[in-house]
Amino acid sequence: MNWELLWKGLLIFTLSGYFLLVIIVIIGGTRNIADMLRDLAKPPEQDQAE
Amino acid sequence: MDVFATNFRAIDWVIVCVYICIPVVIGIIVRRYIRQLSDFIVAGRSLKLFIAIATLTGTELGLVTVMYNSELGFLHGLSAFHVGIIETLCILAIGLTGFIVYKLRQLRIMTIPEFYEMRFGRNVRIVGGIILALGGILNMGLFLQAGARFMMGVTGYSNPAGLKLFMSVMLIMVLVYTVLGGMVSVVINDFIQFVVLSFGMLFGSFFAIAKVGWGNLFKAPPGVDSVSWFNPVSEGSGFGSLYVIFMVVLTFSAGALWQSGTLRALSAKTPKVAKQLYAWSSISYLARRVIPMLWGVCAYIFVSQTPRLLEAFQGQGALNSQFGMPIFIAKVLPSGFLGLIAAGMFAAFMSTHDSYLLSWSSVITQDIIAPLKKGRISDKGRLLITRICIVGIGIFLLIWGLWFEAPVSLWNYMAVTGTIYLAGAFTVVTAGLYWKKASKTGAKIALYAGLLAILGIGPWTTRENVPFYLSDKFIGVLTFVVAFLGMVLGSLLFPDKAEKEEAER
Repeated sequence: MNWELLWKGLLIFTLSGYFLLVIIVIIGGTRNIADMLRDLAKPPEQDQAE
Repeated sequence: MDVFATNFRAIDWVIVCVYICIPVVIGIIVRRYIRQLSDFIVAGRSLKLFIAIATLTGTELGLVTVMYNSELGFLHGLSAFHVGIIETLCILAIGLTGFIVYKLRQLRIMTIPEFYEMRFGRNVRIVGGIILALGGILNMGLFLQAGARFMMGVTGYSNPAGLKLFMSVMLIMVLVYTVLGGMVSVVINDFIQFVVLSFGMLFGSFFAIAKVGWGNLFKAPPGVDSVSWFNPVSEGSGFGSLYVIFMVVLTFSAGALWQSGTLRALSAKTPKVAKQLYAWSSISYLARRVIPMLWGVCAYIFVSQTPRLLEAFQGQGALNSQFGMPIFIAKVLPSGFLGLIAAGMFAAFMSTHDSYLLSWSSVITQDIIAPLKKGRISDKGRLLITRICIVGIGIFLLIWGLWFEAPVSLWNYMAVTGTIYLAGAFTVVTAGLYWKKASKTGAKIALYAGLLAILGIGPWTTRENVPFYLSDKFIGVLTFVVAFLGMVLGSLLFPDKAEKEEAER
């Protein structure tokens, strides 16, 4: 088994994959926080049932 | 070159001080959203996918994570990466199948022992709660110590009193904002940590690779066995096949049931979001392993090229290997950026700490004290007990971190202490969800079996030529096997009453 090649590939995959994930999460997460605070600010009886 | 020489300047201190005030301010602001215990512990079960990913990563990617993974890279080279691959595949498998987490979220519970009661009765919940709290608190016992070592290495503060000083200051900061805000402040802070730390780690990796060179990264340093540097199952790598098996069982069970991570799944808006959360987060689980390990590997290559540093890490009175990565980045990252990394790491330290404090204190309140009082405690009373527990655990951490030195690497210490809880919990929850014949007696035996893992951090593990049956990895695997057998045999030999009557009919 070529360990060197495996670790090289893993490193490249991790760095690029994580970079993409961070960008996606920043965009989606900002919107989610606003929604969460809005939900929590509602009186308990108005909370949406699942 | 001075061992503790650093690029950390006054401007970096300013960045750290300003940055660490942010979580405290957020903790105070979001207090108004905390009306009931579920708001405090699971953020009112209102987490949507992306914020759930950020907060899961924020929790699982703390300063301690960076420290123990970089130590693995520093000690074992690229072969340490195998732990990252194993963990990622396990998290991905949980995400794709929804194994355990989907069903648990459907049940709308707040802690794992709550499930024990639902399935096996109150006594099992109390036993499970005690073992979970014991394993969990012991597991985070060295967080403060590792965090303080990082800050000492980065800031270049080599005075022996520095460990106590950093530990005390860091603990006070964590306690203040965890007690104030609960899960809502944790969620928002985790998001900020996620952003800062992720970019910090990606750019930090660039500096680290640039320093040692891409080509050198994939060559074993002088004096190191070139096979064991790459191959985790080779002799001399410090891992071996048994260790790989231990990692598979441990990371799979921890992925599904580690309280702080599972708490995020239980806080998810729907069971489907809980499942998706794991599938997406498998990438961040990979990053939280591989990137710090990469820093550790770069640190070792750098140290091996600098005789003065190599001398400091070898022989009698050698520096603890946890210092390898911080001392390296203190010399490689430019001032300003180093401050930002230190601030991000410090804030990450706080975010991990608060999550764990919240997890274990809510277990003590919800799963030990409340069941013992047969539920006769108001929501307000529970909130107060949870906050008192947070402070109590904090004090324990300070004392434990000051006198206890792990006989094994930081990660192995965490793996073994995590097994105290995980061996029993994984068996009990899996059997409880998927096996009709699982009984109370079987559950209790499996939970108690977890205590076997304590043997894995005994002083005998540091001896030269430790026989395999006394090694932490063997004890870890054995604990899982005994818990499993205990559950199966206990359930078959001592079935629950209703189950027994049904069989007789």
